[in-house]
Amino acid sequence: MANPRTLDKRRKSVRNIKKITRTMELIATARFKQAMDRASEATAFTQRITQLVKDLTATELEFEHPLLTKRESKKKAVLLVLTANRGLCGGYNGNICRAAFPRLKQLQNEYDEVELRISGKKGISIFRVQRRLTADKTYLQFEDKPKFEDVEPVAIDLLESFQAHEIDRMDVAYMKFVSSSRQEPMLETLLPLSGLEGLDDEDDNKPVNAPGSLYEFVPSAESILQEVVPMSFKVKLFKCFLDAAVCEQIARMVAMKAATENANDLIKYLSREFNRARQSRITNEIMEIIGGVEALASS
Amino acid sequence: MAAIHCLVVTPEQTVLDMTAKFIAVPMYDGEMGIGENHAPTIGRLGYGVMRIESETRSQVLYVDGGFVQINNNEVTILTGRAIPPEEIDVAQAEAQLVEATKSIAPSAELAELKARQIEQARNQVRIGKKAAK
Repeated sequence: MANPRTLDKRRKSVRNIKKITRTMELIATARFKQAMDRASEATAFTQRITQLVKDLTATELEFEHPLLTKRESKKKAVLLVLTANRGLCGGYNGNICRAAFPRLKQLQNEYDEVELRISGKKGISIFRVQRRLTADKTYLQFEDKPKFEDVEPVAIDLLESFQAHEIDRMDVAYMKFVSSSRQEPMLETLLPLSGLEGLDDEDDNKPVNAPGSLYEFVPSAESILQEVVPMSFKVKLFKCFLDAAVCEQIARMVAMKAATENANDLIKYLSREFNRARQSRITNEIMEIIGGVEALASS
Repeated sequence: MAAIHCLVVTPEQTVLDMTAKFIAVPMYDGEMGIGENHAPTIGRLGYGVMRIESETRSQVLYVDGGFVQINNNEVTILTGRAIPPEEIDVAQAEAQLVEATKSIAPSAELAELKARQIEQARNQVRIGKKAAK
């Protein structure tokens, strides 16, 4: 029979763990709300810039930009993997890395050289342990509130090397936020940009008599579009970071919720075992006493 | 009464949302004043200070490039950064200026980039110093 004391000890430790996981769940919930707010603040900018592009393209100008054209040369590619700095968030980090591995392989086959950049401690260690790969560049400064100021240098760095023809392609692997109950690992090619938002869905809701040249352009529509493209790249990259932050918190929330529930079940089970063991011990003792009494009486 | 709805948006947040009677924005080639019933315009911003004046208060912000869209008495400013001029990091801007001046630009694209960085740093230094006084 199990020792009631060890059962009690185990129950206590499970209770302590439950307290921790419960707290972590609450913290993750609060952080998730914050991250969500930030992400929705950011959409204001995206919407405006989409609107701007729409207004610009209403003038029907032909448009080309070095960031939008596909390159023939295949010298070097960059893969940026966005993971978390901390664990205890279920399959979040693992899922991203698992999605990134095949893309890395594909890039390595296609391009002469592939630079691997990883953001987040967990991704670094997963790549090291599972694939024996060390990242060429790592970022650890992105926590649950990525700032545009922090993301911008990364974006500028990538833009510069792309414009200088040092790299020909840039992919990013991150967790995309679909809804609060659905997130999926996503691989996107950010450089060259696949297209500007607003350019693609031009004919969706074009006003009947489009006020074509309603706007005055200073200095010219082309020149403004030249500016819009790098800006929209920066914003896209920033959005990836924001999405990753939101998804990390959701993943942690879900994982900790499951852990708390699991701990509850375990406590229930251990309590039952503990009570049973205690009861059987008491019964045993009574039997012994009765046995002793009877032995004395009969003698 | 003149009323222009002014919106300053950065990728992170909406910095400012207010009604003004006059707005001055730094365009790529100099300052532009916007009063009521301005013609619809889309313009490129430079690096500089924008002023928003309403009946009661006037506000100054440093904007880091971007665009301005004016339509129907609504002014939207899209920029990477919009901060009060006192918060400009002058030391960092000076470092950027030195570095940008030193860097070599073999291609036209890089030369353009270099010129832009120098301009950005110069304006930051100038405005930051002015604000610190």
